[in-house]
Amino acid sequence: MTASQDVTGLVERSAAAYSRGVPEHPADDGFFGPASVTWRSAGDLSAPVAGLRALMLQALHPLAMAGVDQHSDWREDPVGRLAATSSYLATVSFGERAAAQRVAERVRRIHTRVTGVDGVTGKPYAAGDPALLLWVHVALVDSSLAARSLFGVPPSPADADRYVAEMTVAAELVGVPRDMVPASVPQLAGYIECVKPELACTPAASESMAFLLEPPGLDDDIAEIWQDIRDGAVGSLPQWAAEMYGYEREPLTAARCTEIRQALGVLDAVFLGEPGVLEARQRIAARVRAAQRA
Amino acid sequence: MIAGAALAGLGVAAARRRAIPPDRRRGLDLAAVGRTIGRVRLQRGIATLQLIARGGARYAGSAPRLFAAAGEQRQQLRQDLALETAEDVAQTLGAMKGVLMKIGQMASYVDEGLAPSVRRTLSRLQDSVPPMSAELAAGMVEQELGMPPDRLFAEWDPEPIAAASIGQVHRAITRDGRAVAVKVQYPGIAEAIAADLQNVALLRRMLRITAPAQDVDALLDELRERVLEELDYRREAANQSLFAEFYDGHPTIRIPRVIGELSTRRLVTSELAVGSRFAELAELSQHERDIAAETIYRFVFRSLYELHAFNGDPHPGNYLFHGGGEVTFLDFGLVKHFTNDELYPLMQMARNLCVRQDPEEFRRSMEVAGFLVPGAPLSTDAVVEHLAVFYATIREPGPVTIKPDYSSAVVRRFFDVRSPVAEYVSIPRSYVILQRINLGLFAVLGELSATRDWRSIAEEIWPFVQGPPSTPIGEAERAWLAGRPASAEWSQPATGGRT
Repeated sequence: MTASQDVTGLVERSAAAYSRGVPEHPADDGFFGPASVTWRSAGDLSAPVAGLRALMLQALHPLAMAGVDQHSDWREDPVGRLAATSSYLATVSFGERAAAQRVAERVRRIHTRVTGVDGVTGKPYAAGDPALLLWVHVALVDSSLAARSLFGVPPSPADADRYVAEMTVAAELVGVPRDMVPASVPQLAGYIECVKPELACTPAASESMAFLLEPPGLDDDIAEIWQDIRDGAVGSLPQWAAEMYGYEREPLTAARCTEIRQALGVLDAVFLGEPGVLEARQRIAARVRAAQRA
Repeated sequence: MIAGAALAGLGVAAARRRAIPPDRRRGLDLAAVGRTIGRVRLQRGIATLQLIARGGARYAGSAPRLFAAAGEQRQQLRQDLALETAEDVAQTLGAMKGVLMKIGQMASYVDEGLAPSVRRTLSRLQDSVPPMSAELAAGMVEQELGMPPDRLFAEWDPEPIAAASIGQVHRAITRDGRAVAVKVQYPGIAEAIAADLQNVALLRRMLRITAPAQDVDALLDELRERVLEELDYRREAANQSLFAEFYDGHPTIRIPRVIGELSTRRLVTSELAVGSRFAELAELSQHERDIAAETIYRFVFRSLYELHAFNGDPHPGNYLFHGGGEVTFLDFGLVKHFTNDELYPLMQMARNLCVRQDPEEFRRSMEVAGFLVPGAPLSTDAVVEHLAVFYATIREPGPVTIKPDYSSAVVRRFFDVRSPVAEYVSIPRSYVILQRINLGLFAVLGELSATRDWRSIAEEIWPFVQGPPSTPIGEAERAWLAGRPASAEWSQPATGGRT
């Protein structure tokens, strides 16, 4: 199986997960709700770049990377892995509270089995370790803001703060004590500074990212479109993270950002064409509108 | 994550492409190829891109769709989600989406090779665009005409009556009492689309991925030009006025007049036409359908031969029917103008095949027009056999029924990779739109299952025949023609035609 065939159907599966994650007749507004920044920014074009950037940051934590490397089957089934993540995020963001708690509980259960020793640092790790979970959380929140600022609808400073605060509940759901979780943009930045000394580009990280950034077997034309997404993720990384990976980066000019945004628009149109996606987005948008009018 | 999936999906498309010898790429049947390779399955992601690049739904196009047709509940939802600000417009139609919709629409008229799911996808992209809120539309009117619509007009209906792909249509009554339709463009959409059209590299890549057999650069150039033109409603107004003036007094062809003083780059006001929609024709007699089809046919070919213009959107939503063969033609956003040099070879092709019945000369005129590689190692019989399908309705006089599948049969034939002729034919750039729209016209006539003596009608219109009236409409047209200035002079281009 080549990479391309492996990921065949990821659009379909992510779309199905997304559509399932947004209930039609919800019993409650879930952990975020229609007044949240999270809901208001649902469907932002920048999500694929945010996802890729988050993976790149997450992989820089040697213990988080070791856990994935030693326990996850993602190389055999990268589609399944990514689709499961999409599904999880959709349910936590838009699902009812009970549904969000159910999927979070499942993740916590799986994490109890993920333990081991990192071959690079020699340190033991456990996936349920709040410190690791928090890094994964922070990488996603930071990436979402960075990607939106560059390629999507940039949040106002107040909305960015609100978003970080809203997202603390997502960290709590997987087992991070609330008082550990950054609740504003400055706290987020401060936390990243604190963790930085522990971060490194291990061979596993380097190899995994190389696979994601240049999936083997892509045709020239597709590789060029993929390059737009990749440049968006790499270009939006903090300088220190790019240096850890040793990436040479072209500066993200306004013109380059526009091209990346256009490629993201094409992907979004493809996603939107999947059954249920438009309806799911409309369900969210209708509730957001109703909340705004109220 | 999603990005990875979509791109990987593209990877599969490309893998397929590599697996097929280049000479077999024309008219790819993705499903069949998938089966052949045996390891990929047809997926909607790919199909969508194919759609976006090549177009999909024959009838999912832009032109006025009644919002009400979406059903009451959906209509309520669309109104709840109305575009309220220019930012909403940018988010919904910016970042290539408006471009994809326009290009998809234009390229879409006939492609029976596309799966139904692909057609659904284009219409979903269009469904994703809600109407403007009453306030946003009124604001646009004020921006364009200097006054809010409730002051500018004696009456203004804040509910749009129809959607256009980049705007919507409102009813109004002017201060001097005329009922009008006001097409209002979404704010900022023209600028967004124009900017996105500059990303030629991305557009070309998508076309290359999805339509490897086509001359991508020619197709793209043509599509870009047409889309850019369509953004400027003044051009549409000018085109509509050209047609309205030309057909003034015609017995069955109706063109709503443009109200120039209430039209701008982003807004066009014309007389309000009222009539039956295409779907309602099903309830009428076959005779009514036949004569409505005759009017459409006369309109298209007389416009081509005399105005040197082709109204490029043969979408069923662009006709209103009044009975007795009377048809109103709406939406002149996509009009292709031809030079004499471009049209002459087309005329020669029809003349040589159908009138002179001279296959060698037919072949030569195909070569001159650029449809056929000169000196191809093919027998002239094979060439005629392959291409004469385009002329099936007019080779002989007598009644011919255009069946619903005629148009797709032509497409299948033209892109039949098994034909030895296939690798020597192509569609020159200036005929790309003509070709697609021509087929779209036959799709519409086919939907009507129209029976007429098309050849005799064509002879009335052909400048090189100028045949006598062959139908009652033809008789009525003769009186109209008599009161008109002489039609355009035809002369053979000095170069012998466009090469």
